[in-house]
Amino acid sequence: MTKLDDLMKLPGAMAAFEFRGSGELLEQRIAYPDRIDESILDLLAHMCAANMSIATMQARGWEKVTTMKGFYPVQEFTLIGFDWSVVVSGLHREQYKQAGKFSLPPFMGVVMANDKADYEAAFTILEQQESGQ
Amino acid sequence: MSMIRRLLALDGVNVVCHFRDDGYLIEGYGLMSRNDMGRLARFARDYRRMIQGNADQLAMFTNMRGWTPPRGWVVRGATQSVCGVANLVCVVDSSGAPLNEILLELREVSHW
Repeated sequence: MTKLDDLMKLPGAMAAFEFRGSGELLEQRIAYPDRIDESILDLLAHMCAANMSIATMQARGWEKVTTMKGFYPVQEFTLIGFDWSVVVSGLHREQYKQAGKFSLPPFMGVVMANDKADYEAAFTILEQQESGQ
Repeated sequence: MSMIRRLLALDGVNVVCHFRDDGYLIEGYGLMSRNDMGRLARFARDYRRMIQGNADQLAMFTNMRGWTPPRGWVVRGATQSVCGVANLVCVVDSSGAPLNEILLELREVSHW
């Protein structure tokens, strides 16, 4: 059982996916292929990769200008759309970076229907350590 | 009592701000200087517009309905997270804060 399968058990989960830092889709699970397909997930992954980078820039800038701490590194980004939400995490990549590793794991994300979305549960699964790490 | 102030009663909510469409701070409460609240309001306005643009483009390129108009966003940092819904923005603790409840409350208060 992979983390993608765990994410698909979330209430209202429509798809779970992995993608590179540059946005390319690597692997996915799709619950409703008539609503969301691989090409949509690929574009969504690129959008999320861009947003993680921008949010990281903003977190660094915010900490510098305000001297407040705790915003960087950005661990997750969530877009709450009109009917759907996407939650993506780069937490494990950050942990690898901090451990000095050069080969980083992919970002992971989940698309959920807003009327059932449990954001806290999504974060909990995304932040769980993979077995063997 | 201000409607947005009641958001501070939720566990883990440290700051809440209400801003105009041009990013000007209308009111803000919590553990942050007035200057920084002004910055947070401008940041949240800009971020909201960026998210709106991204959702519009995603919908246009994919023909998938249901992304626009976006309802909100969350950026989760190491210990602090920022949540935006409409013209409201909150800074909350990343761990322990009831995020589902906070987002629901933000949505409700944003309609007032």
